[in-house]
Amino acid sequence: MKKINNLYVIDDDKIYHFLFKNLLKQNKIDVNTTFFPNGYEAIEFIKNNRDSENLPELILLDVNIPIMNGWQFLEEYVKDRETLKRRSTIYMISSSNNEVDIKKSRDYQEIVKDYFLKPVCKEDLEKIFII
Amino acid sequence: MKFFESGDTREGAKLKVFYKKLLDQVPDVIFKMVWLKDDLYSITYASENVNDLYELTVEQILKDSDILFRERILPEDKEETIESLQHSKNTLTQWSIEYRVQLPVKGLRWLKVIAKPELQKEGTVHFYGRVTDITEQKNREEELNRSQQRYKFALQAASEGVWDWDMVSNIVHFSAQTMKMLGFEEKEADVPQSFWLDRIHPDDVTIREAAKHKGLRKSNTAYESIYRVRTEDGSYRWMLSRGKAVDFDDNGVATRSMGIHKDVTLLKEKEIELANTINIIGDQNNRLSNFAHIVSHNLRSHASNLSMVLNLIKEADEDEKEEMMHHLEAISDGLSITISHLKELVEIQFEVKTERQKLNLRYYLKNILTILHHEITKHGVTIEINIPLDVTVSYNPAYLESVLLNFTTNAIKYSNPKNKPMIVYDFELINGQKVLSISDNGLGIDLKKHRNSLFGMYKTFHKHQNARGIGLFITKNQVEAMGGKIEVSSEVNKGTTFKIYFNEEDQ
Repeated sequence: MKKINNLYVIDDDKIYHFLFKNLLKQNKIDVNTTFFPNGYEAIEFIKNNRDSENLPELILLDVNIPIMNGWQFLEEYVKDRETLKRRSTIYMISSSNNEVDIKKSRDYQEIVKDYFLKPVCKEDLEKIFII
Repeated sequence: MKFFESGDTREGAKLKVFYKKLLDQVPDVIFKMVWLKDDLYSITYASENVNDLYELTVEQILKDSDILFRERILPEDKEETIESLQHSKNTLTQWSIEYRVQLPVKGLRWLKVIAKPELQKEGTVHFYGRVTDITEQKNREEELNRSQQRYKFALQAASEGVWDWDMVSNIVHFSAQTMKMLGFEEKEADVPQSFWLDRIHPDDVTIREAAKHKGLRKSNTAYESIYRVRTEDGSYRWMLSRGKAVDFDDNGVATRSMGIHKDVTLLKEKEIELANTINIIGDQNNRLSNFAHIVSHNLRSHASNLSMVLNLIKEADEDEKEEMMHHLEAISDGLSITISHLKELVEIQFEVKTERQKLNLRYYLKNILTILHHEITKHGVTIEINIPLDVTVSYNPAYLESVLLNFTTNAIKYSNPKNKPMIVYDFELINGQKVLSISDNGLGIDLKKHRNSLFGMYKTFHKHQNARGIGLFITKNQVEAMGGKIEVSSEVNKGTTFKIYFNEEDQ
């Protein structure tokens, strides 16, 4: 198991932020988590810190988020990926059970590891963190 | 009219052998008929061909000319034949008649007689004439007649008209049926081509020209186009016109073409109706898919949060439990709001509130601005209203309020901090349709990125706390439920203009 130091969660649901933190805590996963309410703020932050050691090993990305949605974030991320100091593993975590979304995540096979439906549970966390 | 036996059978014998041979070769019967004063008549010469035409011998005719009337000419034709013969004798004008004979072998035949009467000194009249078998010609005439009738009836039944265009003189022959379609008396007519061209709907001229142009080339078999034509009462009918060039000059340029017209108005109207229905169904489908989206995304996100809280609360310590209870309340509130949005949406779809009233647009706008007075002064918004005092729209009052409120609050909410906010309301008529434009100088929307999702549910494009992404979605549905549409133009950091088209019938 590789140690994950930094985690970004991109999701506009404030309640989910709180619940997710609690889920990590209860499962005794110790990771430095940063929350972004939309794709735009996340990609700006990543671009501005492209040389940083603290870029995350893992990104959990929602699909339906404002301003720049999950897919738009991925488009931008793919463009910049090569120039980043650290390349992240990305999981999509969404409440959308729309076939279109689930299929679309497979287009990003290279960087999107899997697509999880909310609610996230203990078993999901185990899959995500035991890389 | 009585037969007398002249006994003078030498007429034939008097002829020179040369002439007799010639006469016998003519396929017609050549004859001479003599009339005495006392209405006595006799045929005194007939060429050999009577064998063929009447199936009688020359002798039989000469000795008993009455046999023609007795045993050959059809009883129905007898009276008219005798009458015309008498008339010709009395007026000394050419005798010309067609009658039918019933022959023992050949059966029914048509014969035509032409003879010239000549008055003699002692008051007798001599007819010199010939009889022709015109049965073949008659049959052909009959057949032609029948086929013409059949053709005429078929055209009538198919409600099709025929045109025949002389492209050199530019005169078109229209059949009675075409003239009737145009609202004229059902009578064929020859008219200049402009008679038809002037009636074609302006919007359809190009499509017809294109079809015609293609069709008049020699290689082409036929051309076809459907367009509207103005009838005498001013209304338009949809016509299917099919045609084919039939004559060409030496350069291969068409000089004459022919074709048919068919009134396809009913069919075309059904087709248009169907297309509209398909559009409506398409719209409904979009809304349904949006609906599914709300259910999928929003209800599911509340439900998953709920399930996560319930899972976590078991293991949580007291402080966390307290906080989770707060979140439970927030989830419950969110769920209520989503459900009320769904209800609103369903109501629009099922047109619960679609009763219309004549509403003064300016008056309603003023009301909304009064309601928003606080917001407007707080942001220092300049308002400019260019709506004539008397403009009314036939609309649902609640929808009109909601539409005006939504666009106005959006314009204020997304104002550009660098500008002094300004909202302009303009009214105009576009193709007879009433249109209200609401323009601001705010943040603007990047339409290249967001045009498709602009009116979708829960779509927001601004980094703004109050953005919920429900307003435009509801507004669009309300405007469409009223039979109108919304257009948007926008430029980032310059501003946005929304054009609200009111319903089309409302003129």
